[in-house]
Amino acid sequence: MDFKERILTAMEHQEPDRVPVMGLVMDPATSNQVLGKQPADIGGLLNDPSMRGQVKDIINLSWNDIMYSNFADALEASIKLGFDANWTVYTSMEVVEDPQCKTGLAWHDAFGRLWEMTTDDKGNMLLNYICGLLTTEDKWEAWVENKRPSFDMMIQNVAGYHRKLVDNYGDRIYPIGYAAPGIFENSWQPIGFVNFSRFVYQKPNFVERVIAFHTDLYLRYLDAVMQSGVEVVMGGDDLGQKTGPMMRPELIEKLLGESYRRVSETVHKKGRKLVWHSCGNIYSLLEKFVEWGFDGIITMEPTAGMELGRVREQVGHKLVLVGNLDVSYLLVRGSREEVEAAVKKAIRDAARGGGYILSASHSHSSVDPKRLEWMVDAAHRYGKYPISI
Amino acid sequence: MNSDEQLGTLKESLLGLDMESAVEAARSLADGGGQAAVQDAVSAVSEALGVVGKRFQDGEWFLTELVYAGEIAKEVMGLLTPLLEAGAAEAAGTVVVGTVAGDLHDLGKNIFVSYARGAGFKVVDLGVDVPVDRFVDAARESSALALGMSCLLTSTEGEIGKVIAELERQGLRESVKVIVGGAALTEQFARHVGADAFAPDAITGLDTVKKWSAS
Repeated sequence: MDFKERILTAMEHQEPDRVPVMGLVMDPATSNQVLGKQPADIGGLLNDPSMRGQVKDIINLSWNDIMYSNFADALEASIKLGFDANWTVYTSMEVVEDPQCKTGLAWHDAFGRLWEMTTDDKGNMLLNYICGLLTTEDKWEAWVENKRPSFDMMIQNVAGYHRKLVDNYGDRIYPIGYAAPGIFENSWQPIGFVNFSRFVYQKPNFVERVIAFHTDLYLRYLDAVMQSGVEVVMGGDDLGQKTGPMMRPELIEKLLGESYRRVSETVHKKGRKLVWHSCGNIYSLLEKFVEWGFDGIITMEPTAGMELGRVREQVGHKLVLVGNLDVSYLLVRGSREEVEAAVKKAIRDAARGGGYILSASHSHSSVDPKRLEWMVDAAHRYGKYPISI
Repeated sequence: MNSDEQLGTLKESLLGLDMESAVEAARSLADGGGQAAVQDAVSAVSEALGVVGKRFQDGEWFLTELVYAGEIAKEVMGLLTPLLEAGAAEAAGTVVVGTVAGDLHDLGKNIFVSYARGAGFKVVDLGVDVPVDRFVDAARESSALALGMSCLLTSTEGEIGKVIAELERQGLRESVKVIVGGAALTEQFARHVGADAFAPDAITGLDTVKKWSAS
C-alpha cells in the first residue's frame, strides 16, 4: 500500500497494511531542524528600526509566498520524517504598526484577531494569538463591512494555495487541507472570550448574527480548501478547555449545531471525508460530533485528560481517531522507550479494525524531530496489521 | 424588601446570571445599610462565587458561565469595595499573580483574580509578560501568602523555574507558596520545577490557596 491508500483505508474503518502516521508539522522550528535550514531572522529585522518599515511592507506583499514556503517546508520535512500525511493550513495576516506591541508591530488576521510575534532561542518565528480587536458590536460590524473584499481575496488565495501544495507534493505525501480557524473560534476570538461570554447572555441576537456570518464564510473557505482535490479535509474549532467544554453542550448545539451539520453536508456532498480538530477535554461532545456528521476527530489532547482508549470505547468506530501523542513532554523531551511505549499503547487502544491514524496531538514549536522519528519508527515496527501487541 | 431579602436576591441573581438584578440588589444594600450591610453583601457574593466554582468543578457549569458570573461579581464588587473599611475586603491574605515573561495570555489568570477577590483575598495582579524580578519583588513587598504563575505556552514554561530559583536565592521560598496553571502545564511539570501545587483550572487553584490561607 502507498501512503494514500493507507490513509483512505483507515478512513473507511478498514485495516491497511500498517497504521498510517500523520505529521502535524507546521512550525518553522521543526521544519528547519529536519531540513537543516537556518531560520530567517524576521524577528531581528523587525526589531531594527531602520529596517522595520521595509520588512513590514515586504511581509505584507509576499504573505502568500511566505505561507506557501512555510508549508512546503513542512511537507518536505514530513516526507523526510516518514509520515504518510501532513496537514496544510492557510492563515491570512497583515502586519500593522502598533506601539502597544513589544516590537511596535502587530499581526492582524483577516477575522479580527491580534497576534504578536516572538522568536525562539534559535530565531524561529512564532505567532501567538493575543486578543480580539472587535470588542464591541460596532467594531465587529465595521470590520466585517470593511473586510468584505479581503474575505473574497482570502477565499481565492486559499484555493490556489492548497492546490499548489497538492500539485507539488501530493505524489510523495498526502497533504490534508485544514479549514481553520473554525466558526466558533472566528466568532469569539476576535471579540475576546470575556466579551463573548457577556454577549451570549446580554446580546444573544448579536452572537447569533456573528455565528451566521462566520458559518457562511467558513463554508466558502471549506469549499476552497476542497478544491485541492484531496479526499479528506480537516475542519475544526477548539470547543474544549482543560477540564471540559468551553460552553454548555446544549448551548453549543443551540448556537453551532446547525452550522456544523451544514459543514458536514458540504463536505459529504463533494464525496469527501471530514476530520474535525478540537483541543481540550471534549468527552461530553463526542456523541455530538457523530450526530453533526463528522467522520473523524483529531487531537484528543492528553494534557486535557483525553485518552484514546476511552474515546474508542465511547464512540466505537463511529469516528476515525487521529492522535494523540503528547506534545507537552513526550515528543519534547521523552526518552525513546517512553515514545515507543506511548506508540504501542495508542496502537493497542485504537488501531484494531482500522479507523486509526497515529499522530502527535498537536503541532508545537518545541516538538523535537528526533522524537518524531522515534514515533514513526515505532509505528512502523508495532503498527503492522493484524495488530499483535 | 428587607436586607435579608436583598441579600437573597443578590445571591440568586448572581447564580441566575442576571447582572442587572444583581447590581440593583447590591446598590440597594449599599444605599440602605451601613458597614455591616455592605460586609454582608460582600459575603453573599463570596458565597455565590463559591457555589459557581463548585458547579464548574462538578461539570455542571461551563467556562462561559464561570466567566460571566465572575463579570457580574466584578461589577457588584466595584460598587461595594469602595464602601468597605480599609482592609476588610482583603482579610484572607495576599496572592501575587501574573502570566510569565514571553506569554501574553490572561483569561485563566483573570478568572482566578475575580474569584480570589470575591473570596476575600488581596490580589496583586502583575498582568502578562511578567519578568522574574517583578514576581519576586511583588512577593517580597506584599508579604504574599502565595504566588501564582500562569503559562499557556510551552515555549515559556522555563520562566516558572527561574522565578522559583530566584525566590530560593533571595531566601523567600519558605515564606511563599507557589502555584502554577495554564494550558501548557501539567501536574508532572509543576512537581518537576518545584512548585507547591498545580491548578488545572482557576477554581481548583483558588481552593488550594484557600487551604493554604486556612492552615
